Amino acid sequence: MKIQPPKIAWRFLRWFCREDYLEEVEGDLIELFEKRYDESPSMAKRRFIWSVIKYFRPAFIKSFKNVNNSNTVSMFKNNIKIAWRTLKGQPFFTFLNTFGLAIGLAGGLLISLFIYDELSFDKMFDDAERIYRVNIDNKIAGEVNKYAAVSGPLAEVMTKDYPHIEKITRFRHTKSKLIREINAVHNVKEDHVVGADTSFLNMFGLDLLVGDPRTAFSEKNTLVLTRSAAEKHFGLNDALGKQLILDNEEVYMVTGVIEDFPENSFLRDHSVFISISSFDDHDSPAWNIWSFPTFVKLKEGANVSDFQNYLGEVKDRYLIPWAMKTIPGLTMEVLKEQEEKTGNYMIFGATPFVDTHLHSPNLSGEFSLNGDIQDIYILFSIGVFLVLLACVNFMNLSTARSLKRSKEVGIRKTLGSNRPALIVQFLTEASLVTFLSLLLAIILAIITMPYFNASSGKSIHIPFEEPVFWFILFGATLMLGLFSGSYPAFLMSKFSPLKGLRMGAEKTSGGARTRSLLVVVQFAVSIFLIVGTLVIFQQLRFIQKKDLGFQKDQVLVLNDIGMVGDQKETLKNEVERLGNVQSVSLSSYLPTPSERGGTTYFPEGRVPHADAAIIIDQWEVDFDYAKTLNLNIISGRDFNEQLMTDSSAVLLNEAAVAMLGKTPENVLGLRITDDFRKESEKDMHFYTVIGVVRNFHFETLRNSIDALSLVVGKESDRMMVKLKASDFSETIAGIESVWDKLASGQPFSYYFMDDSFNETYKAEQRLSKVFVVFTTLSIFIACLGLFGLAAYNAERKAKEIGIRKVLGATVAQVTYKLSSDFLKLVAVAIVVSLPLAWFIMNKWLEDFSYRIDISWWVLVLAAFLAIIISILTVSQQSIKAALSNPVKSLRSE
Amino acid sequence: MSEHSLGEFEELVLLFVAAYNNEAYGVLILENLEEKLGKKVNISAVHVALKRMENKGFVESSYGGITGERGGRRKKFYSITSLGKKVLDRQYELRTSIYKQIPKISFGQ
Repeated sequence: MKIQPPKIAWRFLRWFCREDYLEEVEGDLIELFEKRYDESPSMAKRRFIWSVIKYFRPAFIKSFKNVNNSNTVSMFKNNIKIAWRTLKGQPFFTFLNTFGLAIGLAGGLLISLFIYDELSFDKMFDDAERIYRVNIDNKIAGEVNKYAAVSGPLAEVMTKDYPHIEKITRFRHTKSKLIREINAVHNVKEDHVVGADTSFLNMFGLDLLVGDPRTAFSEKNTLVLTRSAAEKHFGLNDALGKQLILDNEEVYMVTGVIEDFPENSFLRDHSVFISISSFDDHDSPAWNIWSFPTFVKLKEGANVSDFQNYLGEVKDRYLIPWAMKTIPGLTMEVLKEQEEKTGNYMIFGATPFVDTHLHSPNLSGEFSLNGDIQDIYILFSIGVFLVLLACVNFMNLSTARSLKRSKEVGIRKTLGSNRPALIVQFLTEASLVTFLSLLLAIILAIITMPYFNASSGKSIHIPFEEPVFWFILFGATLMLGLFSGSYPAFLMSKFSPLKGLRMGAEKTSGGARTRSLLVVVQFAVSIFLIVGTLVIFQQLRFIQKKDLGFQKDQVLVLNDIGMVGDQKETLKNEVERLGNVQSVSLSSYLPTPSERGGTTYFPEGRVPHADAAIIIDQWEVDFDYAKTLNLNIISGRDFNEQLMTDSSAVLLNEAAVAMLGKTPENVLGLRITDDFRKESEKDMHFYTVIGVVRNFHFETLRNSIDALSLVVGKESDRMMVKLKASDFSETIAGIESVWDKLASGQPFSYYFMDDSFNETYKAEQRLSKVFVVFTTLSIFIACLGLFGLAAYNAERKAKEIGIRKVLGATVAQVTYKLSSDFLKLVAVAIVVSLPLAWFIMNKWLEDFSYRIDISWWVLVLAAFLAIIISILTVSQQSIKAALSNPVKSLRSE
Repeated sequence: MSEHSLGEFEELVLLFVAAYNNEAYGVLILENLEEKLGKKVNISAVHVALKRMENKGFVESSYGGITGERGGRRKKFYSITSLGKKVLDRQYELRTSIYKQIPKISFGQ
């Protein structure tokens, strides 16, 4: 025969197919194959394989009952049978073993899925590994900042200069938008809106559900919605060509609908994509607006470090020449000299796109919250710990039980069983237990998944439909079974048949030393986790309780008050008049972490001397800001509505005063300006420092306090309402009715400031939850193990106890004797793990600028807990043994 | 009648067995089916139907001689049994009798 059907499929068919059908089936298949081969060989092969697979059904499969009568197979069957009987024979230990292992496996499974999800971020986009995000690395006034969004003109410059770029796309950050259909009354708020370039879809390999991908972003005032956003407003199929009003003023046309972005992509939150030409500054030559996240796809084989070098030059070639044009008197030399003196720098660079989620911290201008590779490492180690603990348990219990079985081993050996056969037998048994545990673990994982998702903020499901998942799961379980079964198997198969038969296991203390070591490891890990949990909790409490320099309690924040138009003051006055409202303030700036830009100030007389400049935050606030937040004025005074001059007054915080090189007292009256682009100092607008506020924490406590200036301004899109302690719901209802009067049809949305503050520490809270859960689990597993060992020990020493009691030992003495062995092990574990825990948790705390010291009592408490738990676990068994009637245990001899 | 049930696909196969009585075998039936139905059919489906009908006693089979074709495998030829024919007839009668009950329906052309 010249042409052969696919070998493997054919062999498979011959293996499973009923003999009496085989000839016919084979004949027909070959005939078809030959006929089809002339048309297309690959098609013929494919269809052959497919047909073979379709034959794999009960009607065509031969009976295997008496076919494979080889020795290996029947031994295997026998092993399984024996294993099953042994397991059934000691239900208590089987339960401890399977349950402990199942918990470990379930934990490991959940953690693996979590890690897999985190690692898969953004990898679904076309050629993701060739995409780079351009960043800015900036140090100014002693503070390092990184930006994930860059200057607008950069994209064009790169396309022109750098030949190895295949594609480039730009976004434009913008704030949330109120959206309604052109003749609708009610607005819907879309929180995540972004401007997108014409090349956006092409760059990431995306397609539109409706609309033309080539022209979707080319016109001004057009936008593309995600599927869910489109369905919210008018349904998927009607969306195209519809007109929408944004923020009650601009009319936009829908030019397309895009599929929702997957949960593990950087655009997961975004629902509205506005064509970039709708932004006035999209073609502005200004290099100082860092609002354009820019992504570059390099050509295949392009050199990344070469690209980085190129980006390093962009500043000198483009940004500085532009700056020299706009700021009179600025020269390259002045700049260089100034940079040298202050240590300031600013440089463009690139981050691999697939690294942005885990390997890059949260930069300013990021699309969505990043994960942290460190969390992944922590979780990974916890997962490994957990599975390891469970395995250790398994080994411990099996070896302990094994001594009971030395008789069985003795008889088997006498009857001619060799060591490998015994090893195989015990390994089979171990694997059986692991697979039972796997079943239980999967059930546990299914049950706990919703809770896990809720606390980790993910939407993970167990990929039962993926063959790879099953493959890995079974593979890992088998490995685990072999790994944890290997030690007991080798130990047990070593027993000498003579000893085993003559005196049972009473004297052989097989593997006692290893067992002790394993118990120490288990408890060391548990104690470490206890310390970790306590420290994280303390730090979180410290953050929540810390005096932030302002009062965040009972402060209600109203969003988007721009919706009332020019009636902001009316809104404020009406709300102020409500009972239980202490004060009201309008501002866009809240003392919670968010993105802000710096403003450059020069003191009077020193404009524009670069070395006198300070770059600090500038917040526009109203007259009641300090009052509403309870800010502490340490010198000077607060803004006063009665004084006309206060429109050009400024409040500084202590950090800003320090930057100016002044004290809170002598800074009063100083005049500073941010209006330095004017020709003459006379035309510039100056602010007079009227007061200094005590530093307050407006960034997270991981950072130190930034310098800040407060000026009076009319721009505001939020309202803060300080409430008196009372039933809030009534007051909120009052505020809502005022709102409905002034802004009818607009969504009323509010939150409490301390809630949003807590939001900032979500990562830590999540970590603490994870720690609590896994600490509990690991302690539980360790206790299961200890419990099993204690039970076994008591049983093994039954005779010894009987003799001791006959000779006059008290119950207390016997209990002590039985428990002390275990407590010694726990003590060793404490000595080993406490210093380690102390060291590692100190490292973790170093991330926080404001942190607790780990106090000694935390360590003592952890040790104490471990001892108490182990005493509770062990003593129950010990006391039971000690109380038993010695006659029972001694009679049998 | 229930034990003499006939699925739609089985009926088609049985019709071909009857049509090519004593000459019908897997590939032949498959090719005719594909031609008449105008869609791809898997050979295994034909075999499943044939085996099922053989068990029910609608068809019987015998091997042909060895030839150089088909990798030396013999063909298995199927022929219809009297029971099979009866079932087929009954099915046909049933259909036509019901079909005749259809009044003249005008679709308003």
